Amino acid sequence: MNVLNVRFARNSSLLLVVFLGIGLLLNGVLCVAVGDEASLKIGEARDAIGLAFEGVLVAEGAGANVSGLTVRLDEAGRVLGDAETAYGEGNVSVAFDKAVQSAELAEGVKNDAVGLKSSALAGAQRVFRLSLAFCVAGVPVFAVSLLIVWWWFKRFYVRKLLRLKPEVASDAKA
Amino acid sequence: MLRLEDWKIIFAAVGLIGVLVLASPVLSLVVRLPGGERFSELYMLGPGRMAEDYPFNVQAGRDYLVYLGVVNHLGGAEYYSVVVKLRNASEPLPNGTSVTPSPLLVLYRYSVFLVEGQSWEGALSFGFDGVVFGENVSLVGKVLVNDAAVPVDKVAAWDSVNSGYYYQLVVELWLYNATERSFGYHNRFVSRWLNMTGSL
Repeated sequence: MNVLNVRFARNSSLLLVVFLGIGLLLNGVLCVAVGDEASLKIGEARDAIGLAFEGVLVAEGAGANVSGLTVRLDEAGRVLGDAETAYGEGNVSVAFDKAVQSAELAEGVKNDAVGLKSSALAGAQRVFRLSLAFCVAGVPVFAVSLLIVWWWFKRFYVRKLLRLKPEVASDAKA
Repeated sequence: MLRLEDWKIIFAAVGLIGVLVLASPVLSLVVRLPGGERFSELYMLGPGRMAEDYPFNVQAGRDYLVYLGVVNHLGGAEYYSVVVKLRNASEPLPNGTSVTPSPLLVLYRYSVFLVEGQSWEGALSFGFDGVVFGENVSLVGKVLVNDAAVPVDKVAAWDSVNSGYYYQLVVELWLYNATERSFGYHNRFVSRWLNMTGSL
């Protein structure tokens, strides 16, 4: 009976050690996996911010006012900085969440930049058409008006010239 | 009295100016005039947001504050990275001639987005931890930047000329290149010398 008990105790201890070992190993693997995932997510967030900024540049090139978008990108960059800090300190879950938040903010900016670019292009086209119409109509009207004024002025000038009486100066030599 | 020929020239000049004025809205959309000089500003201010009272004599266990600023005069929206580093007197500074940054560890990084003419100012709080003094050397174990602890293990030798253990806080400006999709050193940096005086 005693021999059985000793064997049982030994086996139980062995099993406990094995389970603990597997548990520690799994924990380590999981931690590394979570850490890698957070690192990947931080990289994705960084790329997302870069792409969003490129979208902002395109919208700005189309003539849009992008100051609102840059404020939101600032926020995305700040959250990414928090994620990097948390990752550096070993808080991988916080780092992961912050990186996801940052990437979402950047994605929102990217989408809004596309919309802003479209509306800016439409606005710019409208302004261009109006300016062109103003120019096409205004220049001939102005030129014709100026010609009429010139024609009137010339007549006035000639008449005035003809009305002048020639005078002979007293000291003129014959 | 002006001659008719002179009046003709005046009318022609008025006509030309008038046509240019009327066409200016369209011309402004088509012709792009060159802008002024394009550059970025990077500056560091003391804790009162003035160029004074900068931290100099520092010790472990205390927090110090400076403000960093960036102004964009590059003509469009820009994505900056403001990079904070710490060096000792023997480590290299950024090289302005070859436009290369200092090869030191990055302690902290700010992401800054600015449109043309816009400025940014951010607080940089820093402190030191694990400071040890040996024979003519001091060692800083960790730098705390904006509440984030970064291990550095940086050694500074005793400077007999200036009587102190000198470290230098270096702040570099980097700029995002949308074509290459990466940051490049923008050839701007500011720095402050810090004299490590106590380990607490």
